[in-house]
Amino acid sequence: MAKVLVIADIKQGELKGSTAELLSKARAIGAETAVVAIGSNIESLAKDLADAGSDTQYIADDESLALFSAGPYASCVVDAARQSNANLIWFGFSEGGKAMAPRVAAQLEAACATEITDVVLEADQITVTRPAIANKVIQKVKINTERLVAVVRAGAFEAAEGLSGTRNVVKLTAPEADLKAVIKELISDAGGEIDLADADIVISVGRGARDQSGVDLVKDLAHDLSAGFGSSRAMVDSGLMAHNKQVGQTGKIVAPALYMAIGISGAIQHLAGMNGSKTILAVNKDPEAPIFNVADYGIVGDLFEVVPILKEEINKIRG
Amino acid sequence: MKILTTAKKVVDVELTIHVENGAIVKDGLQYVINAWDENAVEACVQLKEKNGVDTTLVSLGSGDNTDMIRKCYAMGIDNAIHIDDPALENADSFVFAKVLQKVYEAGDYDLIITGKQAQDTDSGQTGIILAEFLGLPCVSNVIAIEVIDDGKIRVSRLGDLGTEILEVTLPAVITVSDGINEPRLPAMRGIMMAKKKKIQVMDLEALGTSYDEVGGGALKSEVAAFMESEKRQGGQKFEGDAAEITANVVGLLVNEAKVF
Repeated sequence: MAKVLVIADIKQGELKGSTAELLSKARAIGAETAVVAIGSNIESLAKDLADAGSDTQYIADDESLALFSAGPYASCVVDAARQSNANLIWFGFSEGGKAMAPRVAAQLEAACATEITDVVLEADQITVTRPAIANKVIQKVKINTERLVAVVRAGAFEAAEGLSGTRNVVKLTAPEADLKAVIKELISDAGGEIDLADADIVISVGRGARDQSGVDLVKDLAHDLSAGFGSSRAMVDSGLMAHNKQVGQTGKIVAPALYMAIGISGAIQHLAGMNGSKTILAVNKDPEAPIFNVADYGIVGDLFEVVPILKEEINKIRG
Repeated sequence: MKILTTAKKVVDVELTIHVENGAIVKDGLQYVINAWDENAVEACVQLKEKNGVDTTLVSLGSGDNTDMIRKCYAMGIDNAIHIDDPALENADSFVFAKVLQKVYEAGDYDLIITGKQAQDTDSGQTGIILAEFLGLPCVSNVIAIEVIDDGKIRVSRLGDLGTEILEVTLPAVITVSDGINEPRLPAMRGIMMAKKKKIQVMDLEALGTSYDEVGGGALKSEVAAFMESEKRQGGQKFEGDAAEITANVVGLLVNEAKVF
């Protein structure tokens, strides 16, 4: 029988949505479910972790784990994987997950697959589906080991309604700190901003914004709609937007209910980061911009003219 | 200080890719250096210019990688090794990491810098697994590297909560994101010099190993089939009076897409 271990996605003491999504998928394939949570002062999350659909909660709660450090965090996951005897170990899409998964796989001598969109178990054979070459192709990957460590692509699985679990907490011993890669400082992303990774609406700005005034205009719309605020690569290269705002093959991969591409032409690398969105709205001056080939709704026009109207019209509806 | 960096030849993602009978149609494909590896090469050359380090490039894979390696030479890399073995055609990340381990152990390197992932597989595993095999510290998704002294570097990494600054004891493995730099266009002088440079080409046997020894006989995973990805269809595109079409689209977002 399949046993799934999900690595809880915790940000600033809060359990993120991907955890319930992954546990829902585990339930859907009839697996036993366990979750591992790593951090400092997180014991109060035990109930949330159970409610997200897990039967066992492995919790590594220690002051030394307050800041992410790939080595010790991966050790906690390996510990939980061994104790739970899980054969499927799943990370939600995050930079932490991407840093940990190959380490965990190497330590468990398991296979590793990143960005998976589906997993199928037939008898003992595990097969996963994942995009490759900037989403231009889909790979079906045959797993030859009993154990698979995987990073699940954003938006791949949906959280089921009415999930419940059993509270059964197992405390993990904190591993030793990594003295060879020591985190000295965390320069936090601007406080209070909506997290791109799990925002219902993401609004990204591209070269069409030209300068700071254009960026501010789009940012203002994002703020009004409580949307995540993202960027094309061009805007990051020009210094108008921060690296951590970049949506695309190399940056954040998002799959919100609504994605607005404002002044973004739609390079293949950008599309690879957002084409899993449910609905896409594009605003661009150039009627031939490739973004219109993937957008459900396209407005051909200058964003300086369109965005204020968009804002006004949406505010009218939302009251 | 000696730095080892990697470069993979990958399919050009800008071009259309066709799939037939579960395989990628190779006719008409063009190959380029993996973009993130190009960032890794640039990072090495910048460290060479600033700190006088010695740089070696290693490229794995079968076939002619000469153009790619010459480009890296022209950018400023000092030495290049090409592990050219047809057995590596279907290798997984663990096999590539094992081969790189052999290359690392045959030299005397203080730092390994790789791209954070390859454009063809988008896996992002090899550098991190290599560090595990070697028992070395590893920082991934790095956007800045600075040498503190012979035994230590300071790196910035894009994490989930912001930019993490770490001090790393050498030897170490660093995987870089494209945010770290803008790779240079080689100057004519570099291109001319690159033509004269030797590339050390060897197969697995010459490296002192075999496909079985690096795990090729027991791949942990293998691609069973490729499929065309589902193309997202463009929907409705509106041109004309901005106020009118924008109001119209917002109406559709509410009534049709039901996002508000």
